[in-house]
Amino acid sequence: MNWTAILAFVRGPLFQVALLFFIAGMAYRLVRIIFLGWQVDKVPARGSKVGGAAKSFLKGILIWPFIPWVKNTFKRNPVVYLAGGLFHLGLLVILVFGTAHMLVWKSLLGIGWATLPLPIVDWMAAVTIMAMIILFINRLVNPVLKLISGPAEWLNLLFVFLPMVTGYIMTHHLWFPYEVLYSLHMISVDFLLIWIPLSRISHFMFYFFSKAIHGADFGKRAVEP
Amino acid sequence: MPEKSILDELKEKGVSRRDFMKLCGAVAGAVGLTYMPALPTKGAAAKLGRSFKPAAIVAKALSTKSRLPVIWLEFQDCAGCTEALTRSQSPTLVDLVLNQITVEYHETLSAAAGFQAEGAKTAAMQKYAGKYILVIEGSISPKDGGVYCTIGGKSSLDLLKEAAAGAAAIVATGNCASYGGLPRANPNPTGAVSVMDVIKDKPIVNIPGCPAIPEVFTGTLAHFLVFGALPELDSQHRPLAFYGKTVHDRCLRRPFYEAGKFAGSFDDEGAREGWCLYKLGCKGPTTYNACASLKWSGGLSFPIQSGHPCLGCSEPGFWDGGGFYQGQSAPLDRPDLVLAGGALAAGAVIGAGVAASNHAQKKSAEHDEKKEK
Repeated sequence: MNWTAILAFVRGPLFQVALLFFIAGMAYRLVRIIFLGWQVDKVPARGSKVGGAAKSFLKGILIWPFIPWVKNTFKRNPVVYLAGGLFHLGLLVILVFGTAHMLVWKSLLGIGWATLPLPIVDWMAAVTIMAMIILFINRLVNPVLKLISGPAEWLNLLFVFLPMVTGYIMTHHLWFPYEVLYSLHMISVDFLLIWIPLSRISHFMFYFFSKAIHGADFGKRAVEP
Repeated sequence: MPEKSILDELKEKGVSRRDFMKLCGAVAGAVGLTYMPALPTKGAAAKLGRSFKPAAIVAKALSTKSRLPVIWLEFQDCAGCTEALTRSQSPTLVDLVLNQITVEYHETLSAAAGFQAEGAKTAAMQKYAGKYILVIEGSISPKDGGVYCTIGGKSSLDLLKEAAAGAAAIVATGNCASYGGLPRANPNPTGAVSVMDVIKDKPIVNIPGCPAIPEVFTGTLAHFLVFGALPELDSQHRPLAFYGKTVHDRCLRRPFYEAGKFAGSFDDEGAREGWCLYKLGCKGPTTYNACASLKWSGGLSFPIQSGHPCLGCSEPGFWDGGGFYQGQSAPLDRPDLVLAGGALAAGAVIGAGVAASNHAQKKSAEHDEKKEK
């Protein structure tokens, strides 16, 4: 067994299994939540629900990120807000606009797109890793967060951290042969794919549902979020 | 009577001292002697001081040692490694290997055929028993009693075992002999295996590549000739001097990779500017070979230089390692749409089932509650 064979396994069969588990798991989670059912709404609406949801999304994407200081969430917890924000922005840049990752999407979806130069993605990756370390320390020292953090929360951090660190070291060709780091990167990605439906990282999908429902609620009551 | 030294034989052929020293310099370069002091080496090379003259060491070896007999067998191959060697642009080295090192038996290059050739092989194996280098080109097919590859009525497996028994060392040239190569590609109808899979009790050097770089092959043989031992090998039995770095590490397009400048197709601006071929499926980052430094055709060019991504032809299982023109970061296979749809449906159905069962439980609980009231 050499690293080339290990790499072929983790890029091939293991990735396939992990991806299929991910698809099945997310479908399961989604169906479960949809079938929880909605309460019948007997209160007459004072505004548009759809409008409220749309406004909520647009404000969340186009306005609040640029003037975060007006939000209470930011004032009370600037570290989490900034580190968390940069972390998510970094993930988007790396996973969508990194050349290597675009090629993954291309092979899965059949379409490719223009990507950002490696140095930009690379700096973004460094920022993302730093943000993740800050969030980890914050979780370690914040008394409230400590109370509500169970094993699942620590594993979330670990399973997201591993692909990022192995990927970063791999792009810089540090310490280990490329195929070793590539194998480790793929193993951690495969584990992450299996872990996502089982954990709260599934918020990558459910976030949009909760945002829509809250927005609809605001719209119905004609209040400004 | 002791055998004549290589120098004596060269003298007889009218080789001048100057030409001899030139040859020694070429051999020293091919062996990678200049790198040796930095490497922790085994055998004779380890005893060398730090200030030594590589060509002088080669000269001493060639003037004291007799010829090195080589028996070259071909099994499931295309003779491409032989072709590459005979068309090599390093005539002195090829001359050294083909004439001075003495290829005692070679099916493609041999003038004799049939029983005569067989006889020559048997004679060489007996005469040089325990001393000859066995070169294997092509994979071995042990499946179904070896019927898929027979020469003179003997299976490739039997021929290899017979020849390996008296060999001092075995050199597996090309990807087929090193790892199974094309014959081993999925679904591997002939059950092809590599030399290493069959022979366990002899020193083996793998010179993978499709074909193997002629200079790497000759360099390895020259090393054996000069030092009487195989060069330092890595975990996959490849000479470290040639396979220590990846193609990516030494690639002339590497700066474009670092800068994120990629050719997007074979005919866009990036391709014309000579940018990195990573997006076009280059396997350079995981391919260990000397293409980028030694190059081909006497240092003229190599695939990446001429605009084609590296196929990874010196890596195990490269035929099954994903599409040649698919980016290396992409997964090896795209999941079957039916399978993905099946997973989606399975997840949804299980979810709906659990939801329905929960719903029924809730209903029955409400019912019981009402009853109690």
